[in-house]
Amino acid sequence: MINTIAYGLTIGAILYIISIGLSLTFGTMRIVNFAHGLIYTIGAYLLITILPFARGNFVLGAALAVLAVIPISYIVERFVIRKLYGVSIDYAIIATYAVVLIGIDLIKWIWGASPIPLSDPVGIDVTLAGVTLPLYRLLIIIFALVIFGVLTVFFKKTMVGKIVVAALEDKDAVKSLGISVDKYFAIIFVIGSCLAALGGVLYAPITSVHPYMGMTVLLLSFAVVLVGGLGNIKGTFVSAFVLGLVMAITGRFWGPAAETMVFVVMGIMLVFRPIEV
Amino acid sequence: MVQQGTGKKNLLEILIITAGFFVVLPILGINRTTDFIIFCIFVLGFNLLYGYMGRLSFGHMLYLGTGAYAVTLFTEHVSRNPFLAVLAGICAGALIGVIIGPLVVRTTGACFALINLAFNQVGHFLALVAFSKYTGGEDGMSAYFSKIGFIDFSKKPIIFGFVLICLLLTYYLLRKLTSSPYGVLIKSIKENETRVKFLGYNTFRYKWITFIISTSIAAFAGALTILNYGYVTPSFIDPSRAVEVIFATLIGGAGSLYGAIIGGVAYMALSNYLASYISRWEMFLGIALLIVVFRFRAGVWGYIVGKFRKKAEVLER
Repeated sequence: MINTIAYGLTIGAILYIISIGLSLTFGTMRIVNFAHGLIYTIGAYLLITILPFARGNFVLGAALAVLAVIPISYIVERFVIRKLYGVSIDYAIIATYAVVLIGIDLIKWIWGASPIPLSDPVGIDVTLAGVTLPLYRLLIIIFALVIFGVLTVFFKKTMVGKIVVAALEDKDAVKSLGISVDKYFAIIFVIGSCLAALGGVLYAPITSVHPYMGMTVLLLSFAVVLVGGLGNIKGTFVSAFVLGLVMAITGRFWGPAAETMVFVVMGIMLVFRPIEV
Repeated sequence: MVQQGTGKKNLLEILIITAGFFVVLPILGINRTTDFIIFCIFVLGFNLLYGYMGRLSFGHMLYLGTGAYAVTLFTEHVSRNPFLAVLAGICAGALIGVIIGPLVVRTTGACFALINLAFNQVGHFLALVAFSKYTGGEDGMSAYFSKIGFIDFSKKPIIFGFVLICLLLTYYLLRKLTSSPYGVLIKSIKENETRVKFLGYNTFRYKWITFIISTSIAAFAGALTILNYGYVTPSFIDPSRAVEVIFATLIGGAGSLYGAIIGGVAYMALSNYLASYISRWEMFLGIALLIVVFRFRAGVWGYIVGKFRKKAEVLER
């Protein structure tokens, strides 16, 4: 049972890292960003490309992969997302989905369609309370907690963070203070995309890397965002870990139902607390 | 705003559509044309929900798949009468609309799209894994239909004729619906739901009814697909194929019945022929979608109507 919980917490940690960017774009710009899953996939593929150059140094490779995502996400923001502000939300969904189609085809073109396995970069098991766990999974959980802490400080103490929090509450009021909200949204978008890529990089050694890996995770992240509340930083954190545990515990009893159960929870949540977008 | 379509005008439109499909019949061959017509029915149903009422469903394959599986299971366990089976498919679609309608129609925009997607994911899982004993899982299962008099659905021309009649019936029904006060009401819900509520209408009920009609038509298309192919696989309920119908609706022009048919034919032509010429087919589709969203929102039919209107204005001067 402890093993299942640890597994659930790992999934929750990954889901949190990915969802936070999605939640912020959803909350601030009212844009459903399907391209987020694409960035996640690209992060994992970049890691595979960079690893041989980094002489197998995982930390260096991961850092470079995350940094390499910045220009890509900026291009997506500048040429697609920015044109969608204030447009009907349907067009945003369709346009970002189109970006995903293009991106997945590019990935297939560059790296091929077959899955690429990646080994555990730490490879050490630790024994906690009589249960043996891979250290890598524990590190991921700690990492997510650190990111949560850093983001909390970022939104409370820094100017950029404060502006974004204010814009989440009332975008027009922030605009009327003479602050160029769009610029900050672009920053937030890039930070969110970097976190998505980080999620991809961290999760790559646990699963295999393939062009469609982003789509399943994206659906799960949407569930996290909808359960946690749009643009709700703490809510996203809680719901990611809760849904991660839901997945792990369901998966323990009936493997194939794990992901479906998340959507059931999301459906129940939406019925009792519909979100107006 | 209520345009009461006269009987003659409707008849003319139906003749035009029939003639149109008979023109493309020798070019495409009978199998492809049947496919195209069935897809057009699906697009018509989706268009009612998205084009007229402004609710984008990202999981409409669920309703198509429900119809497909319902027909197959009906022929397997109850009766091999094709007409009863198709009717059962439509009823299954209506039933699922009745059940999940109240949950989904309360939401709008992104939530509506995503909650449909979530339900589709659950449905795909049920068909693929949970009920694989009954649905055949990944391999799917075959459906056999018995002959009724001279109507034998294993003969392609008969399927073609039947499917075409189905399309015309759907078209006629939707034309009547959308030009009635009900049609104006759902269009008003798209524009401004709060105002419609203010006028004293129970918008929830109308949204629910529209949703049920849309799911029934989608299930109808699914049922006809099985009649045509004779087997069902989980790909008929695969959520990742939902983009096909959205794209077809956008190409043709959302919110117009002609647009739906033009879009359905155009999308099927693109995916059938371009895919064999262009190897990077997904990328092409993505770029085409971006162009439609940013530059060409009215779609083919909207573009034609726009041109026509401009000319008419010039002539009037």
